[in-house]
Amino acid sequence: MTPSRAGAAALALLLGGIGCRSEDPSRLPGITLRMLVPANERPFWLPLAESFARSYPGVRIDLEEGPVPTDLRESLTTSALLSGDGAFDVVYLDVTWTAKLAAAGWLLPLEDAFGEEERDAFLPQALAAGVFRGRLYRLPFRTDVGLLYYRADLLAAAGIAPPRTFAGLEDAARRLQSPPGRWGFLWQGAQYEGLVCFFLEVLRGHGGSWIDPETLAVGLEEPEAAAALDFLLRSRAPGGISPEGVGAYKEEETRHLFQSGRAVFLRSWPYVWSLSQREGSAVAGKVGVLPVPTLSGAPGAGTLGGWGLAVARSSRHPREALEFLRHATSLESQRAFCEPTGFAPARKDAWRDPALLAANPFLADLERVHASAAPRPVLARYAQASDILQRHLTAALAGLAPPREALAAAARETRIVLGEAP
Amino acid sequence: MTAGALARRARRERALLLLPVLVLLSLVVAVPALRVVVLGFTRTDLADGLVSSWAGLTTHARTLADGRFAAALRNTVLFTGLSVLLEVTLGTALALLLDRSFRGRGALRAVVLVPWALPTSVMALAWAWIFHDTFGMANDLLGRLGLAGEPVAWLAQPATAMAALVVADAWKTTPFVALILLAGLQGIPADVLEAARVDGAGALQRFRRITLPLLVPSFVVATLFRAIQAWGAFDIVYVMTGGGPGGSTETLALYAYQSWFRYLDFGYGAAIALQGMLLALVLAAVVVRLASRREVE
Repeated sequence: MTPSRAGAAALALLLGGIGCRSEDPSRLPGITLRMLVPANERPFWLPLAESFARSYPGVRIDLEEGPVPTDLRESLTTSALLSGDGAFDVVYLDVTWTAKLAAAGWLLPLEDAFGEEERDAFLPQALAAGVFRGRLYRLPFRTDVGLLYYRADLLAAAGIAPPRTFAGLEDAARRLQSPPGRWGFLWQGAQYEGLVCFFLEVLRGHGGSWIDPETLAVGLEEPEAAAALDFLLRSRAPGGISPEGVGAYKEEETRHLFQSGRAVFLRSWPYVWSLSQREGSAVAGKVGVLPVPTLSGAPGAGTLGGWGLAVARSSRHPREALEFLRHATSLESQRAFCEPTGFAPARKDAWRDPALLAANPFLADLERVHASAAPRPVLARYAQASDILQRHLTAALAGLAPPREALAAAARETRIVLGEAP
Repeated sequence: MTAGALARRARRERALLLLPVLVLLSLVVAVPALRVVVLGFTRTDLADGLVSSWAGLTTHARTLADGRFAAALRNTVLFTGLSVLLEVTLGTALALLLDRSFRGRGALRAVVLVPWALPTSVMALAWAWIFHDTFGMANDLLGRLGLAGEPVAWLAQPATAMAALVVADAWKTTPFVALILLAGLQGIPADVLEAARVDGAGALQRFRRITLPLLVPSFVVATLFRAIQAWGAFDIVYVMTGGGPGGSTETLALYAYQSWFRYLDFGYGAAIALQGMLLALVLAAVVVRLASRREVE
């Protein structure tokens, strides 16, 4: 056991205690595959686990209930994999974790088990997010993409066409807002991954780029990046279209505000749709969805998010775990999972599935947006690069550093981290 | 059996009885701590698939050129200083209040402990909502008092974000400080105070000349406990600000955590933790030193 492992094993014990369930699955005969899922998704994973147990008698899936926030589950997953004791057989992972977990040697490559034909069933960008150094480690399970929600009723009443450009968004927001009762545009500006997702959309919309995954060129010192950051600063300046408080908002704060009717535009993920249409929502039936804006007005590329499945190298039952991946990413499972949750599936055929479309008509609109979704760079040190960007963006937003200096510092630090990259 | 032999046997038995505790403590405290110390002298990161290689002092030296480490250190010092100052001040007032006899004192003594008994992450979440710019109570209160024009985005500005953390921490741990000081107050013999009164000393004089000096040991204990805890602040920052905005509230503990769990840079995370711990020891030594000098005076 290496020093790091012993320390982490102790931590894993501490942290792992949170997710423990009372019954001991190891006492049951047969094989038990364990996996960590967020508590709010567990009810929708249960049918998948049950249908798998029917097809593979003797193999059962133990769904450990984990915390809902992504970063907490990232820590739990990390410590469990680090201990190397096979705590989890199947890993449910965010789009940005693949490279790190693969570089650490914790995931099994999947190409041998999933041939080209099987791989082709998935959305190409979602599949590509699971590839690290030419090998596939993660199968996409559900996908996410950044969207622009707007109050269709307010825009229609004012005779304003849904905006496609940044200028159009600013103009419409300014005309329809009446702060602080109703703000023009809400986005996620806290120091966390969500800010990076949003900023990358604005950056692409201005024709810029963050890190080229091939050449590792950093584009944060280009004029496009300065223009993108200026959009963020402008919208939050006095007399702007966003409350100063967006600097501390994550997804849920912005959703609550939008859903209580206190904003005209909201940048968020597909999950907002079904929640905003529920009974009790002040904006049910009044919401429209657009691709994120660009300078030119061409549909913008929303940031690709999403969750996928991998097999832990430390698993004692890799063959069964691979079969569960196959089962969970089948069309039937995608339908069973996405219908009640409103999540977007990762299989191409699921997007055209009549049953799913009937249950979530929103999917039809989403498909166009999804086709152009832009991935974040697949880097082993993605977390460092993202944190550098988060820190300097929020520093600029809080007025701690002039925008160009913040971007230059971010570029410099990013190059150092990438230069050290394995 | 001679008295000497009896004493020897008693010592042996005592050592034997202590053994299980010592073994357990060394297993759960000493061994992991030693591992971290060793880890800080290695390079253990993604560069070579988390295989440790001996690095001597190079991992430790990285903190020297790391602006983020310097910022985290500054934030930790600021947070510790401000929160301990506020907590000891408020805690003293609260302890003096609880020391008086009045109706419902017993109930009040129990009630003030409630914040301290709450899990930090739960109360931090509540405070994050209190400081929410739109739905938060802080801005609502300011508005009702007619003090606020624009709503204040507490957690989106460095100074107010740090202030929010200090206030939340003070809310939670002032009762703890008050409890220690209260115990100290009750240990002050009533006859000494009574004698001073008979000699004509006023209330303020009695407080400055008798109560305060006799309370010094309690102050030292309270300050030490709080300073060490505040120095390692993690949960409250993690929940309320995540270290933002612009890293202005990131503490050393949070940075070490990020290095381990997000960057898988175990060597550097251990180096940060170790250097933080060494500085905390220095801090503790200074507090004890200052206090003991006062006591001599």
